[in-house]
Amino acid sequence: MENNFSAENSLRLISETIERSRRTITKNAGKPLILWGTLVTVTSLVIWLLWSKTGSPAWNFLWFAMSAIGIICGRVMDRGKEKAAVTELTRTLGKIWGWFGIFATSFFALVWIAWGIRSAVGIEGTLSVDLSMVILMMMGLCGTISGAVLKNKTLVIFSLVATLLSALFLMVMPGGSPLRILTFAILGIFALIIPGFILQNNK
Amino acid sequence: MSGKENAFKPLDPLLHSELRLAVMSILLVAGSADFVYLKTETGATSGNLSVQLEKLQQAGYIEVTKGFKGKMPQTVCSITDHGRDAFAAYVEALRSYISVPDR
Repeated sequence: MENNFSAENSLRLISETIERSRRTITKNAGKPLILWGTLVTVTSLVIWLLWSKTGSPAWNFLWFAMSAIGIICGRVMDRGKEKAAVTELTRTLGKIWGWFGIFATSFFALVWIAWGIRSAVGIEGTLSVDLSMVILMMMGLCGTISGAVLKNKTLVIFSLVATLLSALFLMVMPGGSPLRILTFAILGIFALIIPGFILQNNK
Repeated sequence: MSGKENAFKPLDPLLHSELRLAVMSILLVAGSADFVYLKTETGATSGNLSVQLEKLQQAGYIEVTKGFKGKMPQTVCSITDHGRDAFAAYVEALRSYISVPDR
C-alpha cells in the first residue's frame, strides 16, 4: 500500500475516495430527515384532527412534545450506531437544525407570551403574526441550506419547491383555520421524508 | 532532456501513499472526521491507520484531537490549511505527469 502507484491511480483514488466519502455523508444525513419528517407530518395531522374536533388551538402545544420525542429518538439512534461518522459537515447540519429548533421554539413561546400579555392588559384586535408562515419559511430555509451544504441538488430542489407550495397553501387557507396546520404535513412529506429516503438510497 | 520532462513536478512522498492519500481525500470533503469513520471508509487496520495519521500529523497536514464522546474515547482528525495546500500541490504535480503533450 505504499509509494508504488502511478499518477493515474493516485488521481483515481482521490476522485473515488472523495465521491464515496461525500456519498456516505449524504446517506447519513437522510436518517434525521426521515425521523423529523415523520414526526412533523404525524404531529401536524394529530393537531389538525384534535383542533378540528375540539375547536381549540391549544393542541399546538403538541409541537413541544414532538420536539422532545425527536431529540430523544435522535439520541437513541446515535447511541445505536457506535461507528457514526462525525464530520464537519454532519456537525454543520446538526447546528443548522439545532438553531432552527431553538428559533422555532422561542418564536412559538413568544407568541403565546404575547397573547398572554395582551389578554392580561386587555389589548383588543387580532394578534397579527403568522406563526405558521414564519416557522414554515425557517424550516424551508434550513432544508435548502442543508442541501446546499451537502451539495445535493435533490434536497435543495425538494426543500425549495415544497416550501413555496406549502407557503401558497398557507396563503390560500383562511386565517385561524385548523386546515392551515396541514401545511406542515405537506412540508414534512415533500421537504423531509421524500428527500430523506432519496439521500439514504443514494448509491 | 525535453521541456516536458522538466515540467514534471516532484510528488510529495508523504501524500504519495494510498492510505495517507485516502485519509487526506476524506478530510478534504469532511473537514474533520473521527478515527472510526476514517477506519471504516479506508478499510485500514487500526494499527496501520494510527501510524499513517501520526505521519500526517507530524508533517502538519492534519490535527489530531483526543477527547470523549459520552464515556467513549474519541479521536478526531482535522485537515489543516497547510494540509490543504499540500494536497492541492500534490494534485497539481500529478496533473503534470498525465497531461497530454502539446502538438
